[in-house]
Amino acid sequence: MRIRTRGFGVLAGFALIVSACSSSATAVPIATAAPTTAPTTAASTAPAATASAAPSSAATPAPSFAQMPNLKIGVVTDIGTLDDKGYNEFSFKGAQDGAIAIGVTDPVPSIVPKDASEYAADIQQFVSQKYDVIVTVGFNLTAATVSAAHANPKIRFVGVDQSPECITPAGANDAAFACKGVPATALPNYTSLYFAEDQAGYLAGIVAAYADKGAPTPTGVIGAIGGTTLCAPCVRYIQGYGLGAKSVNPAIVVKSAYVTHDFSNAAFNDPAGGKAFAQTFIQANKPDVLFQVAGKTGNGVIEAACAANIYGIGVDVDQWLSLGAPANACIITSAEKHVESAVAQAIESIAGGTLAAGDILFNAKNDGISAADFHDKASLFGPAVTTALQTALAAMQAGTLQTCPTTGCGVYAP
Amino acid sequence: MDLTPFINGLYGIPVFGVLLQVIGYLVAVIPPNAPNIMQQATPLALAALCGVLCERSGVVNIGIEGTMLAAAFTAWVVGVAIQPMFGTPNPSDIFGITIPLIISLAAGVGVAMAISALHAWLSISLRADQIISGTIINIAAVGLTGYLNQLISQNSPAGAGEFARFVPPTALTNLPGIGWILAMLLNQGPISISVIVLVIGTQLWLFRSRWGLRTRAVGEHPRAAETVGIDVIRVRYRNVILGGAFAGLAGAFLSIEATNSFQDDMTAGRGFIALAAMIMGRWTPIGSFGAALLFATFLQLGQVINISPPSGELGTIMASVPPQLFDALPYILTIVILAGVVGRSIPPAADGQPYEREAAT
Repeated sequence: MRIRTRGFGVLAGFALIVSACSSSATAVPIATAAPTTAPTTAASTAPAATASAAPSSAATPAPSFAQMPNLKIGVVTDIGTLDDKGYNEFSFKGAQDGAIAIGVTDPVPSIVPKDASEYAADIQQFVSQKYDVIVTVGFNLTAATVSAAHANPKIRFVGVDQSPECITPAGANDAAFACKGVPATALPNYTSLYFAEDQAGYLAGIVAAYADKGAPTPTGVIGAIGGTTLCAPCVRYIQGYGLGAKSVNPAIVVKSAYVTHDFSNAAFNDPAGGKAFAQTFIQANKPDVLFQVAGKTGNGVIEAACAANIYGIGVDVDQWLSLGAPANACIITSAEKHVESAVAQAIESIAGGTLAAGDILFNAKNDGISAADFHDKASLFGPAVTTALQTALAAMQAGTLQTCPTTGCGVYAP
Repeated sequence: MDLTPFINGLYGIPVFGVLLQVIGYLVAVIPPNAPNIMQQATPLALAALCGVLCERSGVVNIGIEGTMLAAAFTAWVVGVAIQPMFGTPNPSDIFGITIPLIISLAAGVGVAMAISALHAWLSISLRADQIISGTIINIAAVGLTGYLNQLISQNSPAGAGEFARFVPPTALTNLPGIGWILAMLLNQGPISISVIVLVIGTQLWLFRSRWGLRTRAVGEHPRAAETVGIDVIRVRYRNVILGGAFAGLAGAFLSIEATNSFQDDMTAGRGFIALAAMIMGRWTPIGSFGAALLFATFLQLGQVINISPPSGELGTIMASVPPQLFDALPYILTIVILAGVVGRSIPPAADGQPYEREAAT
């Protein structure tokens, strides 16, 4: 009986090791970092909607950046996986790109938390190992990151999508949301990078409106499905999408729905559930184009769109590229935010000593957003679409185009 | 005959009219969404069948979630691996069946049976704690599939495709009254369509056959079963491994029928909900299927309310309710039914107890 128990223990140990392998500290050598970055790909191939000058976040060391080869950079992502073909993956790649650009030769390690209770502990791992820069990915890590930044003033923290920064005058996380602290003085070692998702959504909306006009059944309905109403970037994407579509065709009907109203698995991590939800949505609203803003749940939304013979629009990255054939068969474009380039820029600025504290917005002005290339759907669109996208982008860069409602931008209203 | 004025009159009755509006709304939205309900219910029902088979023979299996996940991953990854060997797929007219898909399905089911055999060995032969053994399977499945997926999925390989859904003739689906039920059962892929057959088959097997009788005897009183010459260990092994096949089907459904992809942790807790469905169905296949269907109906209803809310007074009332409540609808319902309607559901008497043969004297 004793031997049996021991065998059982070995198995249990094996299970723990296996699960630990997949979740904690996966050091990836920098040399293997993929040199093709989403933003640069888009800049070289997109016919219309990219900013004129893409910042060089290329993987080759650029001598123009201040070199800090001894900087130790660590990344804590959100729940999920490192290879989610979205948010975690491109933030991590951005950190790698930035590290290469400033001459760091050590691998950039990453930790993928298993659940929300691990955020603080995972950040603390890097703090304990005396890392110089800690990048945390996603809105959910805001409180843990701000608290760690407050407790460790010598470590530089970069948060992706953790705006608006809300701190007490002492620099601690402000759970009451009074937000009295001034970031530059109260918490000078923390920066949040955020994106004008509404601008990316606006561009996608323009494309959707044009695709709708040329569709076999011009019912004039386009749709969008978000992961959860609590995700402000998701809401901004969809608000911009509606405004963009209406700028082309004021009579167009824009229907939107959110899979859930909390941060459960259903919101971003359930493709089968997303597909079923989208089927119901398509049946009820009969849209000609469907925009997914729901991560991996949204990949199921794209599948449902393709199966229903309507067009799909991807989110965050160029999903025509990231999903690959045949899953991308009906994708006409994607609303992109250039997370990779933003994180790389932040790290380069840290080396140069120029990264400001507080919120930094990435929008059309600094190549923070774009609409992806049409790829094999280019024949659907005439020059009018390209012109409309370029005009909108120029207006965004000039700051004259309203892409989000003046009140309630990013706030879900039923 | 136009019933609209009459119906509007009924809807206008204070308080009671709202109830009629609820019924009217349900009648309006459930039939067109019925195939979707079946899609949501399929993995739950199959996983619950796995639970029924295991627990009826006295083995608790909370590793269903992990077994499903491993099967989903295997089915998808085998598809990725063998797809290039078969060139351009030439799907058959019914279900879009291709050779790689069949092999993927078999691989998924095979792996699920192998994992169940491991669970059987740990909990029957080694007499380990069955809860711990199931937990190990759940943890290891998340870790292993996550790690391997990270290695494999870097360049987004295409899988073997997915099973297509059968489109029943409109003559059937347009039948008044029952047409939508036929559409629900028949407008499905092969795994989903087989659920109803498997449920009825298992029900008959469990309650109308000698094997089923032996299974139940082993689950209720293994010592007594042994004294009449039933090999308790063998019956338990057989049931657990057979149950694994159902969990494998549930997993493969997620990755090669409902979608054509694998995502980490894509089972999203369905294995555990299935256990609740099993208890709600009092450890019977048909009861579990009904519970899964009920759960899926309310899940779908929550989504439909979200997508196309009802009009009239009912719509006004619903708009004032926090939308989270509708997301929680299936879970609230499970608790209410477990506590109130089902009453005390009694598990098989020897459920979860390892069996040790009496030493030969």
